[in-house]
Amino acid sequence: MSTGAPPSRSRRPERGLDIALVLWPSFLAACGASLLFFAAIDPALLRNVGPRLFAGLDREAGYAVGFLFFWGIGAIASALSVYLIRTAQRPGDADGVRAEPP
Amino acid sequence: MSTPRLASLPAAESASGFYAAATKIYPRETRGRFARLRQAAVVVLLGLFYGIAWLEWDGHQALLFDLPARKFHIFGLTLWPQDFLYLALLLIIAALSLFFFTALAGRLWCGYACPQTVWTELFVWIEQWTEGPRHRRMKLDRGPWTTEKLLRKGSKQLLWLALAAYTGFTFVGYFTPIRTLGTQIATLSIGPWAAFWIFLYSLATYGNAGFLREQVCKYMCPYARFQSAMFDKDTLIISYDEARGEPRGARRRGSAARPQGLGDCIDCTLCVQVCPTGIDIRKGLQYECIACGACIDACDDVMDKMGTARGLIRYTTEHALHGKPTYVLRTRMLVYAALLALGTGALFYSLFTRTPLILDVIRDRNALYREARGDHIENAYTLKVINLDDRPHRYRLAVSGMDELEVLAPAGLIEAAPGSVNTIAARLQAPGAAAGGVHHITLTLAAVDAPGIAVHEKTRFIGPQS
Repeated sequence: MSTGAPPSRSRRPERGLDIALVLWPSFLAACGASLLFFAAIDPALLRNVGPRLFAGLDREAGYAVGFLFFWGIGAIASALSVYLIRTAQRPGDADGVRAEPP
Repeated sequence: MSTPRLASLPAAESASGFYAAATKIYPRETRGRFARLRQAAVVVLLGLFYGIAWLEWDGHQALLFDLPARKFHIFGLTLWPQDFLYLALLLIIAALSLFFFTALAGRLWCGYACPQTVWTELFVWIEQWTEGPRHRRMKLDRGPWTTEKLLRKGSKQLLWLALAAYTGFTFVGYFTPIRTLGTQIATLSIGPWAAFWIFLYSLATYGNAGFLREQVCKYMCPYARFQSAMFDKDTLIISYDEARGEPRGARRRGSAARPQGLGDCIDCTLCVQVCPTGIDIRKGLQYECIACGACIDACDDVMDKMGTARGLIRYTTEHALHGKPTYVLRTRMLVYAALLALGTGALFYSLFTRTPLILDVIRDRNALYREARGDHIENAYTLKVINLDDRPHRYRLAVSGMDELEVLAPAGLIEAAPGSVNTIAARLQAPGAAAGGVHHITLTLAAVDAPGIAVHEKTRFIGPQS
């Protein structure tokens, strides 16, 4: 959990879990967000907004780009949560070494 | 932030799940009532999934959430983005049904209907077919890479990949016409985004059903974590009858347990071997249990062989286990049922009374009224006419609520393509003598080529103050 934990052996599986914790909830959130957003907004309209970023995109590309966008935003939020939890000092921590749970 | 949050995790969890690589589970094959029920569920559900995509209805794909065209075909019904309400209602109904059935009979969804369970079952069938039963699979994994191992593993992967790819294709076939998609794949002219979605869904199927399996339920599924909130002591759960089974211990077939100081459990561990999530049901209700009933089948079989009554592991309730009566009708069930009935009723009522036509009326903002030739007063409006039907229609505009008021424009019929949003300039006219003041009028738009398609919209007609 903390930076003071013994390195190597316990490090790798936790890294895998972190990646899952970032990608999975943000994927679910992106599904919901895409559903709501594209129910109201036709992705073809995105061509006409903003600094011509989506000028060349057709509707199908619009759905995909929108989904990946929501996924990315969600992943940033999840990553920040995971980072803040992993780097937090807890009561009982001494010099970054967390006491083992009883 | 305190440490007890972490300490509350089961000890075995922190040792085997989160911080170390998960150990591979080799579920033993089962036979029995619940295995047959689950097999039936797999056949029916996957049959529907792979089959319905190819159904035709009235010249189009029967069930098609046509994202490129932004319209949903649901058999005879065509829905547009304007009909989002129905989708929202449907999602609410789905959530309420999940609550209802969870409170009634526990994790029915997990054991029989969840796509994770259903596809995992299918993938495990392939695994058993190519690699053999549990002990053979374990031996094969331990052994060196021989030609046989290569052939068995290779054919398993090949079948898995083919099934995953076809699943991804079918899934995308619900969002873009599947016959067109099939032709595009056959002629290698498929668009990059359709290919991307097929790849993504195939990958998800392959990974989830082939490799992650029970880990999806244990680590990824939010429902597994909060389903216990719907549970009470009258909910059906799969439980080991501790009073009857303990103390567990091996004994000779046909020998009575009690005189030897033993319970009915012979500690054969078959219930653990068949468990797809690798838990021991005898330790009590655990959140990893997906209520598939495999342990019931295994134990019933053993009890039959031992000559003791079935049901050492069975569907029961906490109340029943403690010798108390179980109530099916209880406040929680009634509330869920009432909400479910309300939501379903609302959905069907609104679907059956749905008129595939929307009329919005906006009064001209520039002028209250205009004096026209021959001492007439004219009002201008902007109409938004949205044809929600899947065929073109012609509509006639009529007006009521005021004497001698007539429609000047549009002069003829309004034509609207399916799914189109049309902006129409409308002008109404009344003789000056009758037009003074504010009149509340009703505009009626009715299809001339289909009976029953008509909408009414209230607005005002304004003349000079007399």
